[in-house]
Amino acid sequence: MNLYDKLIKLYPSLTDADFSPLGTITLQNDSDGKGDYIALWKHPSLKEPTQEELDAIN
Amino acid sequence: MPLILSGATSGSTTIQATDAVTQTITLPAQTGTVMVNGPTFSYYQSSAQTLSSSTTTKITFTSSEFDTTSGMFASSRFTPTVAGYYQFTAGFGVATTTCPAWVYFYKNGGSATGKLGNYITATSGISNIQSTALIYCNGSTDYIEVYGGVGTGQALGTGSSTTYFTGILVRGA
Repeated sequence: MNLYDKLIKLYPSLTDADFSPLGTITLQNDSDGKGDYIALWKHPSLKEPTQEELDAIN
Repeated sequence: MPLILSGATSGSTTIQATDAVTQTITLPAQTGTVMVNGPTFSYYQSSAQTLSSSTTTKITFTSSEFDTTSGMFASSRFTPTVAGYYQFTAGFGVATTTCPAWVYFYKNGGSATGKLGNYITATSGISNIQSTALIYCNGSTDYIEVYGGVGTGQALGTGSSTTYFTGILVRGA
């Protein structure tokens, strides 16, 4: 499961608008083999999950 | 062919060649470097890259149509060694799924200095999202990459008319 899918599972209220360039969350992948990561999180009500919380989602 | 070099009271300099016809080049009263055969490149994606949903991803360009930069383009990154103002154009094709799509130019790796290029709702079939930007590069440490995203994860279209990154020096520093 990729990072986006984990976030949607954790926070089902998130929409495409949240992840758009003008949204509140930026997921990024630098194509360097290190995978997806949270580059920016400024959602007004949902807190950025910890790595442990993300790891627990299957 | 007589060659005449003359200065004007305005400070401009004129180079004039006279033979059967007269050819005149007037240089303005400014100090600068006349660019000849500046760097330019055109790269494209030849093997489809798959993007995760809603994840802004560095787009990879592994094949070139042409490259006169003498090694300034490597690992899908352009690091010019000539300072100046560069015009960049990039685009990618969304092949299968209707969804939002966007493309950025990133300067020096960070979204904080990146430029939002374009944001559309791509439709199924092949929609091409393209952006262009004029960006100053210092000729030593500055570098430019292309990042893009799609709302629904999918493979990008390939080929020089679909997923590409071009650049040209338009004015020296």
